[in-house]
Amino acid sequence: MKELSTSELGRRVLQLIVSLFILLCVTFVIGRVMPADPVGAVVGELADPSAYAAMRARLGLDLPLYQQFFIYLTGLLHGDFGTAILTGNPVSKDLAQAFPATFELATLAVIISTFIGVPLGLAAALFRDSWIDKTARVVALVGHSIPVFWFGIVGLVIFYAGLNWVGGPGRVDVYYEGIVTPRTGLMLVDSLLEGEPEIFWNALSHIILPAIILAYAAMAYITRMTRSFTLEQLNQDYVIAARAKGVGPANTVLGHVLPNIAVQLITVLAISYGNLLEGAVVTEIVFSWPGIGQYMTNALMIGDMNAILAATIIVGFIFMFLNFVADIAYALLDPRTREATQ
Amino acid sequence: MKHFRKGLFVGAAISFLALTASAAVAETPKDQLVIGTSLAQVLSLDPQQATEGKANEIMCNLYDRLVLATPEGKIAPQLAESWAIDDKGITFKLREAAFASGNPVTSKDVVFSLTRLLKMNQAAAANLKRVGYNADNIEKLVTAPDEHTVRIDLSGEVTPELLLYRLAMVTTSVVDSVEVLKHVKDNDYGNAWLRTNSAGSGPFTLNRWTPNEIVILDVNKEYVGGEPKMRRVVIRHVPESQVERLMLERGDIDIASALSASDLATFQNKQGFEIQRVPTGGFYVLSMNAGNQYLSNPKVREAIAYGIDYAGIEKTIMGPYGRVRTVPVPENYEYAISSPDWHLDVEKAKSLLAEAGFKDGFSLSLKTIAQTPRIDLATAIQASLAQIGIKVNIQQGNGSEIIAAHRARDFDLLIPQTGSYMPNVLGSMEQFSSNPDNSREANNAGNFVWRSAWDIPELTKLTAKASLEPDAKKRGELYVEMQKMFVDLKPAVLPLFERYEPIVLNARVKDYVGHPNMTTRLEAVTKAETE
Repeated sequence: MKELSTSELGRRVLQLIVSLFILLCVTFVIGRVMPADPVGAVVGELADPSAYAAMRARLGLDLPLYQQFFIYLTGLLHGDFGTAILTGNPVSKDLAQAFPATFELATLAVIISTFIGVPLGLAAALFRDSWIDKTARVVALVGHSIPVFWFGIVGLVIFYAGLNWVGGPGRVDVYYEGIVTPRTGLMLVDSLLEGEPEIFWNALSHIILPAIILAYAAMAYITRMTRSFTLEQLNQDYVIAARAKGVGPANTVLGHVLPNIAVQLITVLAISYGNLLEGAVVTEIVFSWPGIGQYMTNALMIGDMNAILAATIIVGFIFMFLNFVADIAYALLDPRTREATQ
Repeated sequence: MKHFRKGLFVGAAISFLALTASAAVAETPKDQLVIGTSLAQVLSLDPQQATEGKANEIMCNLYDRLVLATPEGKIAPQLAESWAIDDKGITFKLREAAFASGNPVTSKDVVFSLTRLLKMNQAAAANLKRVGYNADNIEKLVTAPDEHTVRIDLSGEVTPELLLYRLAMVTTSVVDSVEVLKHVKDNDYGNAWLRTNSAGSGPFTLNRWTPNEIVILDVNKEYVGGEPKMRRVVIRHVPESQVERLMLERGDIDIASALSASDLATFQNKQGFEIQRVPTGGFYVLSMNAGNQYLSNPKVREAIAYGIDYAGIEKTIMGPYGRVRTVPVPENYEYAISSPDWHLDVEKAKSLLAEAGFKDGFSLSLKTIAQTPRIDLATAIQASLAQIGIKVNIQQGNGSEIIAAHRARDFDLLIPQTGSYMPNVLGSMEQFSSNPDNSREANNAGNFVWRSAWDIPELTKLTAKASLEPDAKKRGELYVEMQKMFVDLKPAVLPLFERYEPIVLNARVKDYVGHPNMTTRLEAVTKAETE
């Protein structure tokens, strides 16, 4: 096991770094050849050519591409993501502000989708072709095929504007804005830390709808995968034997099937989590959610390359990191893959 | 199919909403004004840097200027109590006022702010630079004889009256020099700090600006006019029009701007809401690149002017956004001439093309940003020009792409929009009638006419002459002459529609008067109890 950890781990870490570097190169090149005009965005449309040229030079955009890349890379190695045109802040500061909002949303979404998706998948497999199974399949299909954007608007029309069950766009109602000082950046946590339960409930009423909508697509995927993993296990000898011994369906699933599919499920959940962080973009726009997705979209609109690059790298890194963790967990927990790699 | 499905579901959802509409409606607190809009273009809140309209609306409530232009277009005092005009310049007397920091507003602050504007030399400086003020001469031309007196000497390129209008712009806002100087870094005139902080004497101060999220303004207790009724103004970034509409209907916001045409339409005659069409003095324009082999020919440009269905577009697309006007001066301005007889006339347009030697027509590209109403406008132009034999190929892009193409003269046709900085012929027309050097080397990308490569030495001269004419009557005659010459030249920057910014207000909001230059002050706004 130790041998596996060192050599395998090393190889995978290297893989992670190489993938990140490739992502960085591709994003950089696309960003620089994109026909956007970040200089114009800073100095304004009517600025005269000298002011324009001065700003271009200040942003380093007059240098050859490879030099710009080298400068960027050097900064990056020192933990400097550069300055965002959009805000004039260091990009790292902006991201530290935007990321917690996305993180909070995606984490709640992954919790919701896991707590609904896994039991639903298990039940669907266990009662194959029953109404539960059919419902689960329809739920999964709908979740997969309807665009999040549309779901968001309809959700708002019904639950916010119509029924008045949930809060509207944004993280809290306007009159609560600016009361809680961000400590972790997670509104649900910060409001409790500040001893403001009222704001906590308000924040919860705001996050619940976007989280459910974001969770829905992930839930569809988790349900589908859980169902097929479980079905696979149900045909195995050990399950048939257990059932023959008179173990009830609930105990079969919880005691025998679940532990056996746990490793596969971890991979699915990790991938879903990565997807959620990345896929929050559209949800954030619909719900005016000030997270990384919205930050990136606006940066793209004005060609703010430092912001786009940093956000891409962060999201890419998280995605790859979660995959990496899932792979390692897989290798560590599943004896079969361990043998195979040895 | 996707659209159909989407429409079907939205329809079902809205019917459902109608059934459950009895649900309680939330409402914003009585002492807070909540505005929903798109803040995507706001890049800075430094008045000597930002020029974007939305930023202006925020900054004009944080800062005062020497004078202001009323929504009706008259110059009125703000920080200057009075002023005296002589042959060489204007002498302003300042009123007793204080900045939010508690520091008194002195003539030094005024000098500092104007100098700062020109030394920083960003787009915000363009309007003063255009009339001869620049980083080198500003310190000589603007002086402070005593603590409450400011003297601005004329540059020789502008009349005092027109200078006053320029001093009414947000870019000449007076900043607290003591505060700003505390935050200077690398000779940046405090720019990095002032982008996200305020140091003004206006009715509000900046509590917080998180880009693309929210702007919160707090009341300025030092404000010379007394504390405004609204304790807070919250401007929330709502990029989605449909969502903004729901928030307004639910009562979570009081004012909605940046709504799409269809969402706007739902508030027409709806009880409890009011639509305001705020005139901008600006235009939706068809820019034609006169460097193009076809468009360099005035006959071709005239054919295009006869190849657009103005009336049809106004009725079906522009609605609350604009009305037909093909002279770049709003119809109600003094000395505005009536629009020329350009209307959709396929036969005439075809014969003009034939005269120009292009009987069989040709193809052009048309660039536009993918936003209401410009994208619909582009489609309509494509359809009507097809009738006269010009095949138009539409290329959409986001703001920065299209502006970059415009600046680089990289287009055949392009749809930009303009605004007016003072409510007179010159204020709206100057950007259409002045191009001092059309050569590519001049690289005058900040000039609207240069971008279309339209060479107009005579009209440029006439515009300069009008800027300098001290006699109001004679100036009026020059204004008329400028507009006639513009029409005769078959413009390569063809104004199509006078531009309005439609906004929707909850009827509780009282005394909100939308300002044509996007400098709506909010100190007088109140909110009634819900009926």
